[in-house]
Amino acid sequence: MRSRKVLPRLISIAIFILLEVASLQLLSSNADLQRLWINKSIHGFMGTVWGSTQRVQNFFRLGATNKELAQENAQLLKELMTAREALRQARTDTMRSGVVRDTGFVIIPAEVVKMSRNTQHNYLILNRGYEDGIQEKSGIITRNGVVGMIDAVSAHHAYAFSFQNADISISARLGQEGGTGLLVWDGKTSRGAILKEIPLQYKYNPGDTVFTSGHSLLFPPDIPLGVAGNSRIINGATNEIEVNLFQDFSAIRYVSVVHNTAFDEIEEFVP
Amino acid sequence: MKKTGFWLIYLLLLVAQLLLSTYANFTPYVMVTLLPVMVLCIPIRVGTTLAMLIAFASGLAVDALSEGILGLNALALVPVAFARFGIIRLIFGGELFAREEDFSVHRSGFWKVAIAVVLSTALFLLVYIWADGAGTRPLLFNALRFAGSLAASTALSFLAIDPLAPDSRK
Repeated sequence: MRSRKVLPRLISIAIFILLEVASLQLLSSNADLQRLWINKSIHGFMGTVWGSTQRVQNFFRLGATNKELAQENAQLLKELMTAREALRQARTDTMRSGVVRDTGFVIIPAEVVKMSRNTQHNYLILNRGYEDGIQEKSGIITRNGVVGMIDAVSAHHAYAFSFQNADISISARLGQEGGTGLLVWDGKTSRGAILKEIPLQYKYNPGDTVFTSGHSLLFPPDIPLGVAGNSRIINGATNEIEVNLFQDFSAIRYVSVVHNTAFDEIEEFVP
Repeated sequence: MKKTGFWLIYLLLLVAQLLLSTYANFTPYVMVTLLPVMVLCIPIRVGTTLAMLIAFASGLAVDALSEGILGLNALALVPVAFARFGIIRLIFGGELFAREEDFSVHRSGFWKVAIAVVLSTALFLLVYIWADGAGTRPLLFNALRFAGSLAASTALSFLAIDPLAPDSRK
């Protein structure tokens, strides 16, 4: 019964569209102004339709785009580190200014495939292994700071300690020229960290940026890590400063693995 | 009135519309049309599909034989035929369809018929003025043209309703 009503309605709609299209065709072929207007409307309509389909296509290509961006991010990071190294050399060695050394770090983009965040000893697993050039004793960074360090590597995966791990500390510096100390996770919050052992003579203001110091062999210098907050004096000798990290650990997916090419050479000096 | 009587009146009004389109161009703000009310009054027995074909042919005839642009009246009149049953059902209710009875001023009341005529004429004029302006006319001009044309066409349509409406055909 219902289909008997629907079919004539569909036919009416089809004929309506057909007659309107025929009218527009006649209008278009008999008046220049209307032809321009109709063409403009059709182009506008097509632009909207194709724009929408392109947006849908782009949505389904997000995975590939993210990978491309991760590659590009790693490349940019490498260039940034080269620039920083050049700047550092220019500051410290005027005699050799103009000679830019390599940063000494290999950068490999990777994706986090598993990550724990709810324990005191968190870890993460990356989708790259030694076949991709990943080595043990490498650092993991993003543009927002330090994420962790590689502990073990298989052919296609790497196991790493997260910075949100009670056993991990990294060498960090307060401001561009400030004191250096150890940055550790506060063990409580996702973005909270503590910068320890800052000598009292180094003055700072809450809001100062905390960077990697470069004293560690794992991480390049001058990576912004977070913002300094309140402090307290420990045993009358050093400052302990609260740090609000830039890195949101709940939103990590693409990272860069950095490995110091001089790691083994420098390690030989250490008894 | 017999069915043939209606179609004869329809043809005569079509000729009247041809004359109006050719000679009644006093101001760009007013265009007078009887076509929407003619389509609205097509007997209920005639389905939407056939009504649309009649509307298309009527619009084309006026376009071709008067000084209009070919396709413009057809473009504006087909939507009136498409919406005809919807307007009738909205204003007069579904009983007319059950009884297969056409509306008239006498049976349905002046105001209901007036609203139906205004609705169908407004629909026609919206499409006509929009397509005629082709996006080049300012909104104010189109609005004034719409208002002036709606008032003039509705007034003239009431003269046409009388010969077209079934009661007056007796």
